[in-house]
Amino acid sequence: MNFKVVLKVISLLLILTGLLMLSGIPFSIYYGDDDIIALIISAIITSSVGLLAWFGTRKSDDRELGKREGYLIVTFGWVSMALFGALPFLIYGAIPNYTDAFFETMSGFTTTGATILEDIEVIPHGLLFWRSLTQWLGGMGIIVLSIAILPLLGIGGMQLFAAEVPGVTKDKLHPRIKETAKRLWGIYVIFTFTEVVLLLVGGMSLFDAINHSFTTMATGGFSTKNASTAHFASPFIQYVFILFMFLAGMNFTLHYLGFHGKLSFFKHNTEFRTYLFFILGATLFITLLHLSEVAFNWEESVRQSLFHVISLVTTTGYVSSDYEHWAPFSRIIFFILLFVGGCAGSTGGGIKFVRHTLLFKNSILELKRLIHPRAVIPVRFNEKAVGPDIISNVQAFFIFYIMIFVFSAAILSLLGLDFFTAIGATATCLGNVGPGIGTVGPLNNFAHLPDIVKWILSFLMLLGRLELFTVLIIFSPVYWKS
Amino acid sequence: MRIIIAGMGDVGYHLAKELSQDEHDIIAIDQDQQRLSYTDSMTDVLTITGSSTSIEILKEAKVDKADLFVGVTSTEAVNVASAILAKKLGAKKTIARISNAEYMEKETEKMFTELGIDFMIYPEELAAQETFNLINRTAATDVMEFEEGKLSVIGLRLDKNAPIIRKTVSEIAYEYQNFDFRIVALHRNFRTIIPMGKDKFLPNDQVFIITKPEGIEMVLKLAGKENIDFNNIMILGGSKIGRRVAKLLSDKMKVKLIESDEEKSLALADDLQDTLVIRGDGRDIDLLAQEGIIDVDAYIAVTDDAETNIISCLMAKHLGVTKAIALVDKADYIPLTQTIGLDSLINKKLLAANNISRFIRKGEILSLTSLEGIDAEVLEYIAQPNSPITKKPVKGLDFPKEAIIGGIIRGKESLIAVGDTKIRADDKVVIFLLPGAIKKIEKLFK
Repeated sequence: MNFKVVLKVISLLLILTGLLMLSGIPFSIYYGDDDIIALIISAIITSSVGLLAWFGTRKSDDRELGKREGYLIVTFGWVSMALFGALPFLIYGAIPNYTDAFFETMSGFTTTGATILEDIEVIPHGLLFWRSLTQWLGGMGIIVLSIAILPLLGIGGMQLFAAEVPGVTKDKLHPRIKETAKRLWGIYVIFTFTEVVLLLVGGMSLFDAINHSFTTMATGGFSTKNASTAHFASPFIQYVFILFMFLAGMNFTLHYLGFHGKLSFFKHNTEFRTYLFFILGATLFITLLHLSEVAFNWEESVRQSLFHVISLVTTTGYVSSDYEHWAPFSRIIFFILLFVGGCAGSTGGGIKFVRHTLLFKNSILELKRLIHPRAVIPVRFNEKAVGPDIISNVQAFFIFYIMIFVFSAAILSLLGLDFFTAIGATATCLGNVGPGIGTVGPLNNFAHLPDIVKWILSFLMLLGRLELFTVLIIFSPVYWKS
Repeated sequence: MRIIIAGMGDVGYHLAKELSQDEHDIIAIDQDQQRLSYTDSMTDVLTITGSSTSIEILKEAKVDKADLFVGVTSTEAVNVASAILAKKLGAKKTIARISNAEYMEKETEKMFTELGIDFMIYPEELAAQETFNLINRTAATDVMEFEEGKLSVIGLRLDKNAPIIRKTVSEIAYEYQNFDFRIVALHRNFRTIIPMGKDKFLPNDQVFIITKPEGIEMVLKLAGKENIDFNNIMILGGSKIGRRVAKLLSDKMKVKLIESDEEKSLALADDLQDTLVIRGDGRDIDLLAQEGIIDVDAYIAVTDDAETNIISCLMAKHLGVTKAIALVDKADYIPLTQTIGLDSLINKKLLAANNISRFIRKGEILSLTSLEGIDAEVLEYIAQPNSPITKKPVKGLDFPKEAIIGGIIRGKESLIAVGDTKIRADDKVVIFLLPGAIKKIEKLFK
C-alpha cells in the first residue's frame, strides 16, 4: 500500500472541492445574501488543507497507484469531501451542529437527498447552491470529474474509475479512461443544461432551475423549496422532471450511443427494457390503486403515479404529494421501490436493474438446471451469455445489501426508532433515495433522529453510493495483507 | 493513434501497456476473457472478447478507423489472416507476428505487402541476434548499439570490487572526467531509476552506461569486469533460435549443440556443418562433463522450456562457465536473474514487443528500445531546427527528471553528453527515460 499516492489524490480532490465551494457566490451577491464570507472561509480551509497535503506528497509516483490504492482513495476521498463539504453550513450557522452538517453533505454527495433542514427557504442562496452542487458532483462522480480534468495517469485512473462508477461491469466509451470520463461528463452537462432551459420555459427562476436540474440529473432529490417539487404546481414542470429523472436513471453509455445515432439498444439492451417496462407496469398499478381511492382525474393520477414511481426507482426522491396517505397497499409498493435502483452506469443508486434481472433470470434457470443436471444453461443478458464470475459477483452484492439492510435496521430500532422509521430510513439511505416511510416519510425530515443514527445513516449512504464493495473491501483483512 | 492489438499474450500485453502509457488509443482483442480482464485492470485499454479473424469483431473494434493493426496471437495463421482482413477492412497499417524465417526473405516480404501486411515480426530471429551480441560483449548483461556502433549502451552488474562502488554520481564524474561515458540507468531491488548527483552505487546493482567505442574497455573496468574472447560455445536446444545462433557463431567459434530429440538432432547435424551436434539431455551432468563443459566459455540454453534453461544455466555456472545465457519467455522470471546469479536472459516476447513499438514510434523518433527486465527505455531522436532542445546547453534545459540525455551522434562523430554539451539541429540524440516521460521529451524536440 502506497499511502503517499493515496493522500496525493485525495489532496487534489480537496483542492477541487474547495474551489467549487466558491461557485455559489454569484447567486449570493445577486440575492444580497450574507453567506459569502462563510463560503470563502470554508473554501480557504478546504483548499489549504488540500494544498498542504499535496505539497507533502506531490513527489510520489502515480504509477504506484494500484487496485488497493484505488479503493482507499475513492472511499476516503468521498469521506473527506463530506467532512470538508459540511464546513459552509457549519461556519455560516445554517446547520449549527456538525453531525447534522455532515449528514446533509454526505446526503448531498451520495445523491441521497435526505435532509435534516426543517426550513429550507431561510437558507441563503450561496449555501443552497453548494447543497445542490454536492449532489450534481456526486451524481456523475467527482473522481470521474477529476479523471476528466486533472492530469491523473491513465492506469491509476482506471482503478479509481472502477471503484466509483456504479454497475457490474464498467463500460468504456473510448479506449482511454480520460476520454471516457470526459464523454460521460459531457453528456451529463448537456442534459443538465437542457433541463435548465426547459425549466426556465416552464416559468422557474434561473436559480431554482439550475438547482433542480443539478438534483434531477444526479438523481439526488434536494430541493430549494420546503414543499419540494410540489411547490411548482405546473404539470409541464413535473413532466420535465419525469423526463430527466428517467434519462438520469438510464445507463449513460446508452445516451452516448444515442448521440451517435445508434438507437438499436431499445431492442437489444435487456436492462433498459426491464427499466422501461418496470416503470410503466408499476405506474399502471399505482394509478389503478390510486384511482379507486380518490376521485382524481386521469391525467393527474397517471402523472402523479409516474412521477413518484420514477422518483423512487431512479433513487431521486422528489416528492410532490404525500404517498403515505395513499392507499395502504401503495405504501408497501413504495417501500419495495426503495430497493430497485436505476440502471448500471446511471447516476442512480440502489441495487440496480442489471443485478435484479441477472439474479431473477439465474433463479428461474436454476429450476431448469435441476431437471437437466448436465445441461449448460447460461444466463443471457443483452443477447450474450453471462459468465459465472459475474453472477457470483452479483449474488455477493445482493446478499451483502440485504444483510446490511437487516442489521442496520435492527441497530436503528435498538437505538429507539420505531419499526417503520427504522426500516424506512435504512432502505432509503442505503439506496440513496431520500424519503423513507414512518417518521422519515416524504413530508418529514431526518432532523429528529439521534446523532448516532445520523452517523450510521451517513455511512450507509456512502456504502450505497460506492456500491458496497469499494467500502467493504477496506474492512476485510485480505485487503491489508500484502 | 488508434491501435488494435489482437492477442493479449506476453507480447500483446507488453505492447498494450507501453503504448497506452504514451496516450495511444488501444483496443485489445482476445478470446480469453480472463486474460482481458487482467489487461483491463492493469492498463488503460478497451477490451473486446472474440476472435480477431471474425469480421464482426474487427468491425466492433472499428478497424476502419484504426491507424494500426497488430496481430500477435500465438498462432501464425491467425495473425496473418487477421492482418489481411484488417487491412481490407480499412486499417492503415498492419503488423503480423510470424514463426517462419522464409516469410522474412525479401521477395516473399513483397508478396505479403501486396496481401496487406506491412511489417512482419519474427521473434526467434530477434532472440538469436540478441544472443549473438551478448556473446560478442562477454562481460555485459545487455548491449545496444546505435548508428553502427558509434555509441554503445552496455548493461553491467557491478562486482564487489568495482572501483565505482559506494561512490556517488558526482564523485565518479569528477574522478573520471577525462573519460567519455555516462551512467544512464540504475536497477536495484526491482526498481529502475535514473541516477543523479548524490545517488550511490552498490555491489550487484545493474547499471547501464553509454559510451563511445574506445570507451568500452574503460567502462568494463569501472564495473570490475574485463572482456574475454570466447572460443568454446555450448548451446542447449535445437529450436529455431538454437539453430540460428549456432549458424551465427560457428564461423569464428567452436560450437556444440545439444538436442534430445533424435530426428531433430539428425536434421540439425545435416544443416549445421560446422557445429558438433550432440544428442542428449542438457540436465545430465555426466554428459556435460564428457563434452568438456569445463572448457566452455559460454553456455546458451534455448530450449522451449524456461525452467530447463534456467536450471541448466545455473548448472553450467556451477561448473565454472564464464557466461550463461538462458532463453526465458516468462516475463515473471526476469527480475529473478539478479537473485539467482544468471548472467543474461533472453526474452523473445519482450524483444518482439520492443520491435513493434519501435516500428510504431518511427517518424521523428528513430528508434526505441526497452532495456530488458527493467523499466527504462532508450529513444533515438532527431533534434528539429529551432526546437527548444537546441536553444540551451544540456544543463540549462528544463529536462524532465525521469529522463537523461546519453549521447549525441553528429554526422560521423559521436559525443557523450555532459552539462555543457549543446545540441544542434539534426543531431541524433540518444535519450534514456522512465515510462511516462515521453510526452515531455517530444515537446523539447519539436
